Amino acid sequence: MEVTILVQATDESFEILEDARERSRNVLDTAARLTSEVQSVQRKRVEAIFKGARQTKTEITRFAATFIILFGFWLLLSGHYDLFHISIGLLCCGLVSYGTHDLLFANPRAGDMRVIVKRFIAYIPWLFYQIILSNMHVAKLALGSGDLIDPKIVKFKTKLESDISMVTLANSITLTPGTITVDIRDGVYYVHGVSKQVLEDVMTGEMEDRVAHIFMEADHVYVQDTFDMAPVFVALK
Amino acid sequence: MTGVNDMMTKQSDDVIVKTLSRLLIPFMQVYALYVLAHGHYSPGGGFQGGVILGASIILFVITFGLDNALRKISERLNTIMCSSGVFIYAGIGVLCLILGGNFLDYAELDKILHVGIAQARSLGILGIEVGVAITVMGASLSIFLDIATGGELSSKEKKI
Repeated sequence: MEVTILVQATDESFEILEDARERSRNVLDTAARLTSEVQSVQRKRVEAIFKGARQTKTEITRFAATFIILFGFWLLLSGHYDLFHISIGLLCCGLVSYGTHDLLFANPRAGDMRVIVKRFIAYIPWLFYQIILSNMHVAKLALGSGDLIDPKIVKFKTKLESDISMVTLANSITLTPGTITVDIRDGVYYVHGVSKQVLEDVMTGEMEDRVAHIFMEADHVYVQDTFDMAPVFVALK
Repeated sequence: MTGVNDMMTKQSDDVIVKTLSRLLIPFMQVYALYVLAHGHYSPGGGFQGGVILGASIILFVITFGLDNALRKISERLNTIMCSSGVFIYAGIGVLCLILGGNFLDYAELDKILHVGIAQARSLGILGIEVGVAITVMGASLSIFLDIATGGELSSKEKKI
């Protein structure tokens, strides 16, 4: 009697264990499936982002964009808004954009163009402020005894990735009085500065951070990706 | 290819020069055509427009190399443009002669254009200027290419 009860209890406990194992396996399967789904969606999303970055715009789109920009430039220059001059302008801009549509938009980017333009416009006042500051510094150097003048060439590695952002940084450095970008070789900047202070200002990297912010590069691009991914995770939950 | 300057055949490796000329060349060309088309109202005209146009293409050659430039404007096309500019100039002049006026007497163009004498003169001058611009552009580019390549280019194209 006792033995049967014992056997029954053992059987039941085995069944319970089996059941629990089944359930836990189900849960694990579901979890694995969900993870793989999330991963595949994520991979597709990332692939799409990179594909978008690599994908060259079609000829027509590039032609149209170049044409619109150039025609705006023509209208700005012309000042004669009669039919004759505007039709000449359309013809000329058409010819030029046919010849050069692969120049203006040679490297299509992942970032949103409107955001870049907005941030670039916001960057200009800061650049002017820096120019005024270093103008006063250089004037002080020129009028002073000359002890502080200590010309040097420094080099630093940049974290910027694309050509356009590197050129923006190089020209910003050159525009600021006292410093000149001599060369860029494989992402290394060679900057000539007239005194210790202007070179230290360059080496702090604030300008570089701001340029990276404009073009959504370095760490900024990953933050943007996280924001892009957020709705996908919410939908899966 | 012996005698060809190495700088001319390969691309510039300076990222600043490359990016800025990429962004500037279209605007230079539109500006050249603006100078050409508004020669009546402001300083400029055929010669100046043609020189700016030629300069923009020379900048392209310096930055992106000869091969890329020849893909856009072959030497053959350049020669055709050189001579067709002169043809446009002389053609308009002779057309005036045929229509009963003097050489380059634009008022006679009214007989075929029917837009009024003043407008016909304006259009005639514009046509002349276009001819001048095309020739000046072609000639300045071909002078540059001849100096830069030491005259080797023509023989290379013939071989192909």
